[in-house]
Order: sequence, then structure tokens, then C-alpha cells
Amino acid sequence: MRAIQSIVKKRLFVVLIIAVLVMFTLIGRLSYVQLAQGEWWAQKAEELGSRDADFLAKRGMILDRDGKKIAYNISTPSVLLFPAMIKDKAGTAKKLAEVLGGDEKKILEFVSKKESKVWLKGVGQKIPEGKAKILQGMQLPGVLITEDSKRYYPYGTMAAHMLGFTGGDNQGLAGLELIYDKQLSGQKGYISFASNAKGERMPDSKEEFIAPKPGKDLRLTLDLDVQSIIERELDQAMAQYKPESVLAIAMDPNNGEILGMSSKPSFRPDEYQTTDSLIYNRNLPIWKTYEPGSTFKIITLAAALEEKKVNLTESFHDPGYVMVSGARLRCWKKGGHGHESFLEVVENSCNPGFVELGNRLGKNKLLDYINRFGFGKKTGIDLNGEAKGILFKPERMGPVEQATTAFGQGVSVTPIQQVRAVSAAVNGGKMVVPHVMREWVDPDSGKVLEAYQPKVESTVISEATSKMVRESLESVVAKGTGRKAFVDGYRVGGKTGTAQKVGPNGGYLPNNHIVSFIGFAPADDPKIVVYVAVDNPQGIQFGGVVAAPIVGNIIGDSLRHMGVPKRKNQIPPEDTPLTTPIVETPDLIGQELDKIRNSLFDFPLKTVGKGNVVIDQIPAPGERVKKGSSIQLYLGDKTEIGD
Amino acid sequence: MQKTKKSPDFVIVVAILLLLTIGVMMVYSASASMAFHKYGDSFYFAKRQLLFAALGVFFMFLVTNVDRKKLYDMAKPAVIICFILLVIVLIPGVGIWRNGARSWLGIGAFSIQPSEFTKLAMIFFLAKLFSQPTFQIGRFRKGFLPAMGILGGAFGLIMCQPDLGTGTVLVGTGILLIFVAGAKMKHLGGFALLGVAGFTGLVLEATYRIKRITSFFDPWSDPQGTGYQLIQSLYAIGPGRLLGLGFGMSRQKHLYLPEPHTDFIFSILSEELGFLGITIVITLFGVLIWRGYRTAIRAQDLFSCLVATGITSMLMIQVVINIGVVSGTFPVTGITLPFLSYGGSSLTLTLVAVGILLNLSRNTNR
Repeated sequence: MRAIQSIVKKRLFVVLIIAVLVMFTLIGRLSYVQLAQGEWWAQKAEELGSRDADFLAKRGMILDRDGKKIAYNISTPSVLLFPAMIKDKAGTAKKLAEVLGGDEKKILEFVSKKESKVWLKGVGQKIPEGKAKILQGMQLPGVLITEDSKRYYPYGTMAAHMLGFTGGDNQGLAGLELIYDKQLSGQKGYISFASNAKGERMPDSKEEFIAPKPGKDLRLTLDLDVQSIIERELDQAMAQYKPESVLAIAMDPNNGEILGMSSKPSFRPDEYQTTDSLIYNRNLPIWKTYEPGSTFKIITLAAALEEKKVNLTESFHDPGYVMVSGARLRCWKKGGHGHESFLEVVENSCNPGFVELGNRLGKNKLLDYINRFGFGKKTGIDLNGEAKGILFKPERMGPVEQATTAFGQGVSVTPIQQVRAVSAAVNGGKMVVPHVMREWVDPDSGKVLEAYQPKVESTVISEATSKMVRESLESVVAKGTGRKAFVDGYRVGGKTGTAQKVGPNGGYLPNNHIVSFIGFAPADDPKIVVYVAVDNPQGIQFGGVVAAPIVGNIIGDSLRHMGVPKRKNQIPPEDTPLTTPIVETPDLIGQELDKIRNSLFDFPLKTVGKGNVVIDQIPAPGERVKKGSSIQLYLGDKTEIGD
Repeated sequence: MQKTKKSPDFVIVVAILLLLTIGVMMVYSASASMAFHKYGDSFYFAKRQLLFAALGVFFMFLVTNVDRKKLYDMAKPAVIICFILLVIVLIPGVGIWRNGARSWLGIGAFSIQPSEFTKLAMIFFLAKLFSQPTFQIGRFRKGFLPAMGILGGAFGLIMCQPDLGTGTVLVGTGILLIFVAGAKMKHLGGFALLGVAGFTGLVLEATYRIKRITSFFDPWSDPQGTGYQLIQSLYAIGPGRLLGLGFGMSRQKHLYLPEPHTDFIFSILSEELGFLGITIVITLFGVLIWRGYRTAIRAQDLFSCLVATGITSMLMIQVVINIGVVSGTFPVTGITLPFLSYGGSSLTLTLVAVGILLNLSRNTNR
């Protein structure tokens, strides 16, 4: 054999040097990836894990205050493909087609997609349990049977703006789904591919198996029944007045719990894409800003009472206008209200009277109260898209601006700000924070994990002042402009509002109003504040006519549902040609039909059954009904009652 | 030539045994969950890896005692048999189609890859050729060209399967041998130009190869498609950082990284044992390569020297390409990592090659 020439040894040495250099290059490269970029890759890998549906936790449900489900997930076994892992694409497609039925070619398209994971759309979605079991048993590489979960809103459009909606990966995009996305989505887990497919744990404890933590259930302050009452009334108003929009808020004034909130037009959260984005992006009760109109007078009244600038029995003369710095500000009533007490100023919503109250308070005090009642800043409600509104800056507020502000013009506020301010005016002066989250519930045990702690930010007026405000507003409903909100026995107090809308050029739009009403009940111990605003109703354009009855209906039905007892000592409603008096039903039980017919009852009577003696009646004796309501009589032959 | 034999290079033996131990452990960690659900046994792959490693080590020590004369004599028939097998494997119905290439012969577990054997046979053949007293590698037509011709022929057949990974290792090993044997630099330079042109042609001919190249330069341009493996591999390596996530704690081996126990075992190792772990493994490979070339330099005859060079170079090229690929340094191509990747017959064969290296280490100067 040949000996080794020197050139061979030289070249071997060169190769060895190169080998060492290459090794160091590799170590260098790896140290760059692991040490310099490691943090970044670790973060990216985390995100990667969270992208996969099978690693995602079950999203928490949204419940109403009584635990009724308003948003939950429907899940069904579906086929998830990982094309990169499927080597034998044609064979896999064939086997899938055999089990699932369907077109082999179409399935092959999905199998061959250049994506890390693909849902097998069509035949691979919502497959029967039996087929899912067969597929799981086949253990095809890159084919995973997993739960395809979809957010479901069983009540359709109900509370849509508040709930919001989720995107394709069940991530919150709007409303509560967005605000509380983190808690609702829970924590993703790391599950191995195979163990997930069989649903078994790894046999070796060294293998990491972190199960995803399901999201918490969100229990709202919302009362589904109150919400449905609101939805019903708003739908009816949309049909009746054909306005641009309507909105309503119902809140517990004592702690800021939102009992119901809605606006129309609305959308279906599960099909939000089919609706104009302007509709689903704007949660009107917290987003819309406009001149409040007369409902704002409550603030002026509360401030004047608290500062002892007025006595409600004091008299005032309204000539139909008031001159402020040479400007003539008219009362809404032509010719004015003439001679009246300040209580009547409130009942009549008399503008010159409120200008007087504003004057007595002075610019600074008035502005101070407006700020303290929370206008010009967000209420802090746990929903997205809240607006702040606009107030006059103190330096730009002249006598005219002060006067118009006193009766609710020239300021711009949101509905939720008004609800919060009026709540404070009637609840003893407490500025509560409106909120919809009541508590977080463990989805498995049902235990409360965390409850909302009601906050009182400040106290703006005393209980004594608050009481006066409640009583004067109750008389607005009983005797004044808010008559149509009257609910017998519930001592409704409230205030109408009619505000002209400001057009794009800054001027008022002709014949285009937002009419509103804010009401609360019962006046002795308010349990609910309801605000309704109708934007540009066709035909009649007065808050007292359009919005007040809606508020009345909502308050009446809601309080009945909430089990609030009726009061006896209400301010009796004033009789006017426009109102229907409330009367007590007579006790007709035991009387003979002939005698009743001959008496002077002006109730229409309906009879059920045969006989001549009344054995029962609906409504029961002594119940208060609107005059003209019919009474149903159940007849029989009563002989045991001796006559 | 026959002097008193020394014992084989102890350092190589230790490095190999350490690498095999780490390998079996990593194969277990990388494949356990998949093995459990596919075969109901988390140790399915680990047990087989251990079996083939033991078998390989047995053969390795067996080969250590073989007379080198026999190796010299069988070089020519071995390469002829390999060429025949490389042709047979291409016949549809005879060669078994796996992972997009027709490169297997045999039935089930008893199947072999002729290309694996060819790598080894080629080393012997070229070493024998270059140590013929009349052969002049420095001459072009009677030296360089025939050597390149036989190498090119084998490469061509392997590329018909097609198996770019094995082909690259074969050509790389052969060219290093030709270089070490003393070929003229102008010949090698000219060939390098030709090689670049040919490689470009091969790449352009198959679109998947273009995509592998482009995805290498910008994996994020198509993260779900061709860049997938590279990105998934980096997702494993990066988070490992200095100390790793801990043995068995890899996340990428579940579902994300294809073939975690074969081509991408180094990624899992990086993820679980961190930079510290891979430094140890690369150092072991480094020691192996250093001792391999040391054996070559100290060999007593040209044939032994070139065989040692060839085997060491073959191992080095595979290590460098595999680690280069998984760390995003080279474009993706399927090559296993010697001693660590799962792979029955090829592991045994690699250990036999090391056995020959050990054999040669017994007959060195000093």
C-alpha cells in the first residue's frame, strides 16, 4: 500500500480547521436564536399555542341577575385538519370521505391546504357522535376530532349592544364580550395532540398536560324580564312613531345596577356582519350625546333646593318669556303660565321659572352642581364606547348660556349621565357608578368568585333635598307634564324632555326633536330609574306624549315583576280631559245579576257561566283599574248564602 | 503493516456511548406521547432505538477486530452491488415509496436504504482507488475525472429517488476525500463552478426545492406552507434559552413539529435541555470529529488514512447539515442527526462505520 504524502496531511489539517470553524459557527447561530432571540421566540410560541381552538378554554357564559343564560357556547364535534402533518393526502381524504360521506375531491382540497390548521368545512362540521368515534379510532395523522365551539345568543337581538359579539376565534370584539374578554376566555392549556384526540391523560407524569382553564361565567345586573319589557316597549315605539332611533335605560338608583338597557335599531350578535356597522358600533344609551332638554331641569331644581335658594311654595310670575341680556327666551307655552308657585313651575316645566332658579344659583354654583352631578365626564360604566358630552366652559358662559343651561339647552350629555344624575337626585344624593357586571361565577361549582363592590363616588345633595325633589317630580307625573307616565300605586316621579337636534351646521334642525322622559318609582323609596328617548318621532313631538307612557309601562311592569308593593299614599292624579281616571272596582260577589244590572255602575260587565249570583270577579273587589275597564263576573247559583 | 495492535481510541468510544445515551433519552422524550397513542406504548420508539443502538455497538466492536485487508479487498464488489441496488430501488413496485421518495428496499421492518450503504461503499472505493500506486489524482483525465465520474453516477442515481439529503452527504464526503487525496485546486475550482450551476438547475427543476430555498431566506413569507417546518423548529429552539424547559417538557413535540424524533430531534433537545444541552452535544460531536481526523493523520498507510477521513467527513457533514437546517442556517433538507435521530438500520450502519474508524485507530503511529 502507498504511504501518505505530505500534501494529504496538510489538506487533512485544513479540513480539520474548517470543521472546527463550522462547529463554532453553528454554536454561534444557536446561541443567537436561544440566548439573544430566546425571549421573542418564547413569546411567539405562546401566541402560537393560543391560536389553536383545541387548546382554547371554554368561554364563560353571560348570565342575567337570576342566572338565566344570555350568551353561551354551542359545541359539536368537528374535524380539524393539520395539513402539514398529513403525508398521505389522497389516502386521508379517501378515508375521511368513507366515514363522513361527501365528495373525496373536496375533502382533498382541505387536506392539501397550505395552512397550519383547517376546519373541514361542510361534511366535517357538526358530525354525529358515532362518526366522531369512528374517526377518533382511526387515528389518522393530522386529523383531529375536536369541539368546534360557537357563541350563541338565545334571545336574538336582546341587549345586543350591551353583550357585544365575538369573532371567528371566539375572541371578544365588542360590548361585554370585549370588556371582559380576558376573564371570559379563561386560560389556554397545553394538550398533546394524541392525548387530546383520545381525551386521555399521558401515562407518564413527566409529560406535561395542562388542561385549559375555562373562562368564568359573568353574571350581570341585568334583569332579563325588565330587559324584555324594555325591548317590547321600544319595538312598539319604533313601529308606532317611526323614529330614527329609540333608547332606554333602567337602573337601580341605589347602587347603579343596570337592570335593562337597549336601543333600536338593533342587531343579532351572532350575525353582526349582516348589519350596518354604524348600528352595532354605537351603543346609543352611552354613546349618544345631545341636548337633554327639560329633564336637565331636575339638576337645576336639586341644586337650587340644596342651596336653599327657593321655597317650592314661593310664587312666581311667568309672562311667557324672560329677557336675558337683551335676548328674549320664551316659555314653551305661548302666553306663559302666568301666576304659579315654584312647585307648579316644576310641574309645568316652565322655562322662565328655571331661568330664575339659575340666576339665583349664579353661574359658578350652577356649573359646580352640573359637574358634581357627573356631566362632562364618563360615568365609568363597564361598557365600551362611552362618550363624555360637552359643557360650556366657565369663561365662555354668559348670562344667556347660563339661562339656557338652567333649562337644559346648550349642553350636550349622554343618556347614562342623565340616569346617573337623576338617580343621585332621588336617592339621597349618592353618586353611584352605573355598572352591568354583578359577579364572576365559577363555571363548575357555581360559586361566586368575585362580586362587584358598589361605589358611591360622592354625595351631591342631602336626603332632605332629595326628598323634596322626589315629591315635586311625583307631582309632575300626577298633575303636570308627565301625566302619561302615571302608574297607579307606584308613585312614579319624573320629568319630560324635548330637545331640538343640532344639525351639521351648528343650527337647530326644524321639526326634528329628541323627546325623552326620565322617571323613577316609588317616590318614597325609588327602586328603579327609567329613561327613554325617542329620536325624531313622526307626528307628535313631545316627551310627555311619546316618551312618558313608555316609561310608565316599563316602570309599572318592571316593579310588578320585581315584587315591589303598591303604595296607598300617592299623590292622586289630576283629572283632565286627556287622562283616564283610576277607580276602585266594586265588590259584586254574592250579588244578584239582576240587581247589578239595575245599578249605576259604569263598568262594562262580562259574564262567564250560568246562574244569577256572582260567585267571583276579576279584577278582585277594591282593585284599582282605569275607568272604563271591564269586569268579568263568574256566575253560579248560590243558595247557601241565605237571603 | 501488521505491527502489534493497540486498543481502539477510547475517547471515540466514550463520545459515541454518551451520544447514544442522550439519543435514546431524547427519542423517548420526543416520541412518547405519539408512541403511546399510536402503539399503546410510550416506549415504542425508545425501545427500538435502544435495541438498534445495542446491536450497532455490538457490530461496532466486532468490526474493530476485522483485518483491514478484507476491507481493502471488498471495496470494489461492494460499490458494484450498491450501484445495482440503486438501480433496482428505482423500479416501481420493487422500491418502496416513503416520504416522497422511492428509496427503500425490502419488506416492512426488514427494509434498507441502498443509498445509506452506498455512502460507506463509496468511501472504501475512492480510498482504494486513490491508494493504487499508479493512480494520479493530480492528473485530470486519468485522475480527477474518473473519480468525479463514479461519484457523480451514484449521486445521479440517488437523485432519481429523489433524496437530496443523502445525495448531498455522498457528494460532500466524496469531494472532501478527493481534496484530501491531493487533487489540483484548479480542477476542484472548475468543478465547484459546474456544481453551483448544476445545483441551481436541480433546484429550479423542482418547485418544492425553490420553495425550500426561499422559505429559508424568509420563512415568514409563507409561515403555513414551506416555511412551516423551519418556523416550528425555531419555536422549539428559541424558547429553550440557556437551560431549556426541562427534560420531557417540550411543547413543540406535540403536534407542531413534524417528526420530532427523527429529523428534528435536535430542536426538541434544544427546547428541553437549552443552550447548555446543545453545547454538550455539539462538543461531543466535535470531539468525535477531532479524534476521527486525528486517526486519519496518524494512519500508517494512505488507504487507512482516506477511509478514516471519509467516515469522519461523512459524520461531520451530516451533523453540520442537520443542525444547520433545524437552526435555520441552511435550507430545509431531510437528514438525520447521527446517533441521536431515531432510525433503526441507519443507526446500526453508522455505528459499523464508527467501528471501522476504531479499527483504524488501532494501527496508528505514536
